[in-house]
This record gives sequence, structure tokens and C-alpha cells, in this order.
Amino acid sequence: MGFDWVYLIEVLVGGLMSGVMYSLVAIGFVLIYKSSGIFNFAQGTMLLFASLTLVKMTENNVDFWTALAVAMGIMVVFGILTERFVIRPLANQDLLALFMATVGLATFQEGFSQFMWDSDIHGLQLSKFLNLSLLEPVPIFVADHIAWLDILLPKFDIFASIVAGTMIVVLAFFFQKTRTGLSLRAVSDDHMAAMAVGIPLQKVWAIVWAVTGVIALVAGLLWAERISVSFTLIEAVMKALPVILIGGLTSIPGAIVGGLVIGVGEKLGEIYLAEHLGGQGVELWFAYFIALMFLVFRPAGMFGEKNIERV
Amino acid sequence: MSNVMLKIENVTLKFGGVVAITNISFDVVKGEICAVIGPNGAGKSSMLNVINGVYLPQEGVITYNGKNITRIAPRNAAIAGMARTFQNIALFQGMTVLENIMTGRNLKMKSTWLEQGLNIGRARTEERENRIAVEKVIKFLQLEQIRKTPVAKLPYGLQKRVELARALVAEPEILLLDEPLAGMNLEEKQDMSCFILEVNKEYGLTTVLIEHDMGVVMDISDHVVVLDYGKKIGDGTPSEILKNQEVIDAYLGVSH
Amino acid sequence: MIYRETGRFITNYLSDRQIFPLRFDKFAISVILLGMLLWFPTLSEYWLSAHIIPILAVGLATLGLNILTGLTGQLSLGTAGFMCVGAFATYNLMLRMPDWIMSLPFAIIISGVFAGILGVIFGLPSIRIKGFYLLVSTLAAQYFVWWFFNTYTYFLNYTPSGVVAIPPRFYDYFGLGELLGVNMADYPARFVLAFIICVAMTYFAKNLLRSNTGRNFMSVRDRDIAAGVIGIPVVKTKMLAFFISCFYCGVAGALYCFCYIGNVDLMIFEVDRSFTILFMLIIGGLGSISGSWLGAIFVYEFPIVFTAAGDYLFGGAFDTAIVENVSNMIYGIFIIALLIREPGGFAALWANTKQKLRMWPYPH
Repeated sequence: MGFDWVYLIEVLVGGLMSGVMYSLVAIGFVLIYKSSGIFNFAQGTMLLFASLTLVKMTENNVDFWTALAVAMGIMVVFGILTERFVIRPLANQDLLALFMATVGLATFQEGFSQFMWDSDIHGLQLSKFLNLSLLEPVPIFVADHIAWLDILLPKFDIFASIVAGTMIVVLAFFFQKTRTGLSLRAVSDDHMAAMAVGIPLQKVWAIVWAVTGVIALVAGLLWAERISVSFTLIEAVMKALPVILIGGLTSIPGAIVGGLVIGVGEKLGEIYLAEHLGGQGVELWFAYFIALMFLVFRPAGMFGEKNIERV
Repeated sequence: MSNVMLKIENVTLKFGGVVAITNISFDVVKGEICAVIGPNGAGKSSMLNVINGVYLPQEGVITYNGKNITRIAPRNAAIAGMARTFQNIALFQGMTVLENIMTGRNLKMKSTWLEQGLNIGRARTEERENRIAVEKVIKFLQLEQIRKTPVAKLPYGLQKRVELARALVAEPEILLLDEPLAGMNLEEKQDMSCFILEVNKEYGLTTVLIEHDMGVVMDISDHVVVLDYGKKIGDGTPSEILKNQEVIDAYLGVSH
Repeated sequence: MIYRETGRFITNYLSDRQIFPLRFDKFAISVILLGMLLWFPTLSEYWLSAHIIPILAVGLATLGLNILTGLTGQLSLGTAGFMCVGAFATYNLMLRMPDWIMSLPFAIIISGVFAGILGVIFGLPSIRIKGFYLLVSTLAAQYFVWWFFNTYTYFLNYTPSGVVAIPPRFYDYFGLGELLGVNMADYPARFVLAFIICVAMTYFAKNLLRSNTGRNFMSVRDRDIAAGVIGIPVVKTKMLAFFISCFYCGVAGALYCFCYIGNVDLMIFEVDRSFTILFMLIIGGLGSISGSWLGAIFVYEFPIVFTAAGDYLFGGAFDTAIVENVSNMIYGIFIIALLIREPGGFAALWANTKQKLRMWPYPH
């Protein structure tokens, strides 16, 4: 039996696509870390909250685009409130404390989301709302793949990649070319110095958290289509951790590369290693092992900034 | 020259493209107080860090008591009898003064973690004996009142004194002090200088110190080395240095 | 006045180091511990099985995590994984070793060592990796251990349901039960085992905290480069922290299964268990021994108390979903509030209260 190249390529491409989805989640983490040094553990629960809110609205027959706008508004408000009541009071404590605070925030959010809405699984069919031929509502088999050189590419993944790609380009532009972006980068480097030159720290952080909320919404919706909105959404996000850690906590391109590495590595591991190691579910920890290998050689991630400690 | 304790020969240290110190050579005689001075950015801290192994020089040889220690690891430098303080205080902020100073005795503690967890035998006696040694230094540096205070609550000057205590309790042969008087007022500086002098006289402790306050340097040191832009521009007794034109130019900022 | 803190003068360094310097405290603690040991076993099965024993188990795990994260500053989310190793190892040792060699306490200790060794292996990356990046290693441990025992069902004796009930004969400590006329598989005996282990290990931890090793841990947490410079062996210290911490977690896992639940079940040891223990740690106070126990009690009891309140006030209005969600919200709020107001957690709150009581009625 010859090596099934077509299958391999399909697996690789599938991995790349899911990698893109991971990247989207990872970018949210990176944004906040980049601008405030905080490792926002609540990113996953923000995803859950955002998408749950939207889904609940659409289930109650609110028009999709209105619901989207409202959800975005809610996420922005939530971001501002978080900055005001969680981050600001802790500004003079060390980063471990801030991380713990985001763990607390995540826990709160998890309880709150499910308390407000409920704990059921909600399917989300974006295709119902967006009239793109790309997304005709058909069961996930051959019919909604596009055949390209004998390889079946899931239509939805293409859509997700396009969305993710657009977001990344927009963000990159935002960071590099706009004044707010510049302020963000200044704040991330040294927020004391940024304050000293007059950058309004609170405003900048509020913007960052709001933007992250919106990213969480978009990422949440894309993921929800794939695996439905429920608590397990958070598990999917736990997988985004190795992505960020490989790419480096401070780098958006790193998040992208990391996402692709994990996406592909995971699929490969699942399919080829599972036979040898005798079980499925390998992909659960394989992602973490890949990240571990990377980090041993590059302790700050591939593109992360090395923290130089002066003695 | 058998009473040269520390011999630094042609040491060069680079960080990527940036050269911190170039071709530095000088000797430190046993029992002396040697001050390393120079304008900011001259490479003084780097020099100290090279001596105790925090940085590894690209070129040069450092000999300590006859042994080549150029590429020594900091921990082994400590075991060999080097103790030091740091420019930005490196105390352990989560512990009290007493605990911080006790960490300076860690090399003297031989009991295992098991014995310590059970609080039996060796662990108990060691803790007591080392406490006695630590209390001697606490008394010497007049830190009795603040023994149980968390160091994070102490003012800068006191923290520096605690750091000195931590270095002293290790019973070192040579003391490396990085700006021990920085950020202190006149009174604190006088106290600290007295401590350094006394330690040198009483215990015969060779001391290498980096310092900016010229008055202090002239008063307490036996030997002064001047660095500027990573190069040595002066080496001699305090009075010789005062007359050295290059040194004067460096400090007054004559362009070169 | 019975309770007097003044008027005692310390005349030697050893007495300065006592855990309970006041005679009254020493007396009180001995009485309390002895009382617990003698009285609790007489309580109803409900109190033992639903409150006391589980708190002992999770409190010990919190203590373990405290040693790693609170004392040594190595962030870990793999706690449940190490507990899992302890539980499974104990089960397999008891199952496969001949009865005349192995009894439960030995098995538990040996499993703790297994867990400790695994901890060192997954702790090796901490030599190079620092800060948040280290989460990868402990999460890898968590997921890997779970997958391992899920896949290689040999360790569960091929039980199809994935849950193994612990046979009563495991509780026979070389016939001690028959000797005393007590059924060792019952809750009172299980309580005594768990209690003795927990008290001993808490004592050990407290000693460790005040010793050279404890100071080494804290130095590595606070400033590891400086620690190395003054002679502390940083790598060895980190590895020791991982070993001891995971030993504690392993033993805690064994206690959880053997003394509390009575089954060995993989579902107990999922990621959210690691998080729960982290909450206990933060709420109780990082770096404080008593804090670990306070935090464990709070986080464990809160859902129970809340449900009971719901039953009492609203006639069972709170179903499990609501309880879980509200609990999570409360934990989250508590963590954030504590971090803002009192980062030392409940332990610090308690110390502050005592200080206020000392000064009362003066404000300061």
C-alpha cells in the first residue's frame, strides 16, 4: 500500500484551517498581553459569553445583524467594565496577581454566562444568516467541500480563514499605522513611561479590552459553528494556550504561526501516532507536548520578546 | 606577588555588538578596599558581574587565589568565597529581614529537606547555630529592631543594609559591592561607610566596591580603578587618581 | 487572663522558632487535634463522608499546590493529574502486590513517591521556561496522565465502566481491624487514616516553610537569579519543590479515592479539579499553610451551604446547575475582591482580624 499522499495533504490542509481558528483565539490573548502584560485567562469565557449572548438572541428571533451589533456592544461595555473594576484596582500588583484575577474573572464569567442564559448546547448556523453561497446549509459531508486538485476542502474553513485573515490584517494595520496603535505598543513596553509621556493609560486599556471582546465574539461565532456553543467551547480555547506559548505571548504573527503549527501537528499526531500509542484522544495532550518542545528551545516562544533580567 | 587575591587580565565583555568593557586589567590585593569608579555606563557593574560569573567574558582571564575562575558559575563563585550585593536591590521581597539574611547562610546548612521537614536532629541544631552567626551580623549592622519586618516594607537605605548583612553572613573571603551607598542620605552614607571600613578592618575582608560618591571613595579606599567607556583610564591610590588628568577629563566631560 | 501574649520572654533561639509560642496556643491546638481525632469518628456517617473526609483530601492537595505555586512560584495547573497518579498507583499496588507486603498506608506513601517523580519529570522544563509559559508543562502533565489512564485500562483492571469500587479487603492493615474489632473499611476508620496523614503532612510542611529549604523555595520564587548568586542550587530547589508538591498531591488523590469516594474514577481528576484547587489556594492565601486549609473549607463548603440555604429559604429552588453557576460567580468575585483588598487571602484576613482584636478598642 503506497503512502496516501492525498490523504496527507487533506490532513495538512485541515490542520492549517483549524490552526487559523486557534490563531484567532490566540490573537485575543496576545493583544491584551502585548498592551498590559496580563495573561488573560478569561479569553475563553469571553468567547463563550459573547457567542451565547448572540445565539440566545437569534433563537428569540432577533435579526442576525442586529444581534451581532448588540453583542458587539455588550462585549465593548464588558471590556470597559473589566478594565475599570478588575484591572485598574490591581494595577500596582505583580503580574501573577493579575493573572489570578483573570482566572477569577473567567470563573465568574463562566458562571454568569450559564446563569444568565443556560447551560444547554446551542447549535449555530451562520449560513442561515449570511447569504453566501459558500455557506449553504448542508450536512458536513462532501457537498459542502470544494474540490481542488482532488482534495476536499471544507467550505466553512475557507470562510473562517478569510474572516480570520481579514481580522489579522485589520489589526496589523491598526497597530502599525494608527496613533492609538502606537499608544498601545508604548503602553505594552512600559506603562509607567507611557503615563509619563501623557498617554491616557485607562483609555488605552479600555480600548484593548473592548477590542478583545469583539475578537472574542468573532472567534466565538466561528468556533460555535463548528462545535456549537456550550461549555466545551472553553475546552477548545484551552488548546489555544499552546498556540500562544509557541508563538510568543507578545507576537501576533507568532500567534498565527503557532496556530498553524498546533493545528497541523495535532492532526498529524492524532492520525499517525494514535495507532502506535494505542488510543485516540492523543490530540488532547499532543498540542501541549509540541508547545513544550518549542519552549525548551525558545523559552519565550518563537517570536516572543525575551525578558531580560538585570541583576 | 602572593598577596594578590584577585587578578583581572585583559578582560573584554561584549553583548552582541555592544562592547561593555575592553581589555581591562588590574589586581586586587588581599585585605584592601578597592573602589571601581567611573561615569555612568562605564562598565563598572559589568566588571563586577564578570568577576562572579554572572556574565562570561569573551576574552581575558580572571584568577582568584591562584585559580582560574574566568568561566565560573555564580554558584561556584559563592562557594569559593565571593559574596556580593547588587545595584538594584536583590532581596527576597516575600520574606522578612531575618529570613533574607538567613538565606545568606544556605551554603553552611548541611541538613536534608527530610530532616528539616521533621525538625529533628541536625536540622534543629543547624538552624540554631546559623541563627547565632546571623545575629552577630545583625547586631553589627544594627538591624535588631527590624528583624521580623518584611523587607518590602523597609526604606531603601535599610534594604541596602540588609543586603550587606546577607553578604556578610556567608563569611566570604571577598566582598563585591555594587553601589552600596546609592540612594542614601548623608547620615546613612556615613553609617554604611563605617560598616564597610569596620568589616574590612575586623575581618580582614577584601572588598571591591563600585561607588559614585567621590568623597567616600577617597576616604575609605586603598586602591582606586577608574573606568570610562569600558576602558581603564586610571589605577592607583586615591591621591594618585585625583591628580590623573584623564580621570579629571572623564568626569568633567571633556570630549574624547 | 488566660490568653496573654505579653509577659513571655524568649531566652533562646530555638524557642523563638516555635510554631505555637504561646503556652495557651500549644495547649489549645493539642486539645483541638486530639478532640477531632477522638470525637469525629463518633459523628454520623453523613458528616464524615460528605464534609470532613473530602475536605481533608482536597485540603492536602491545596497544601501540595501551595508548596509549588505559593512557596516556589512555579505556576501549575496539573494538580489533578498528579492526584490521579497517586490514586491509581495506590489502587494498583494494593491490587497486585501480595497482601503480606502491602498495606494501605504504605501503598499511599509509595504512590506519593510515584507522583513526586512524575512531578519532577514534568517539572524539568521549569529550568528553561519561566512564568506563564510554564503552564504548558503542567497542563501537558494533566492531559497526558488523564489520557494515559483512559487508554491503558490495565490500570483499572479492565473494568468496563471505567469506575472501580475499592474492595473492602484493601482496608485490612495486616489484620489490625480484626485485632481492634473495628471494621476498617468504614468511614470512622477511613477518617482516622486521612486525619493522621493530613496532620503529619501539615506539620511537615510547616517545618519545611520555616527551614532552609523553605527559604530556598521562596528565594527561587522571589528572585531566582540572585538566589543562584548567593549559592542556592536553583535547579535542585525547583525539582525538590515539584517532587514534594506532587507527592502531597498524589497522597491527596489517594485519600480522595480511598477515604472519601470509595471508587477509583478518572472523572474525578479532570482539569476543572485542578482549577478548583487553585481557587482554594488563592482564596486561602498563597504561601500560607493555614490558608490552604481555610481556602479548601470555603470552596468546598460553599456550594453545599448555598444549596442548603436555597432548600431552606426557597424550598429547593436551586438546582445543581444554578448552584454550580452561582458558586463559580462567587469564587470569581471572591478571588478578584481578595486580590484587590487582601492578596494574602483568608489567612491574611484572619491575621489582620487578630491584630485588630489585640488593639481593640483602639484603632491602631
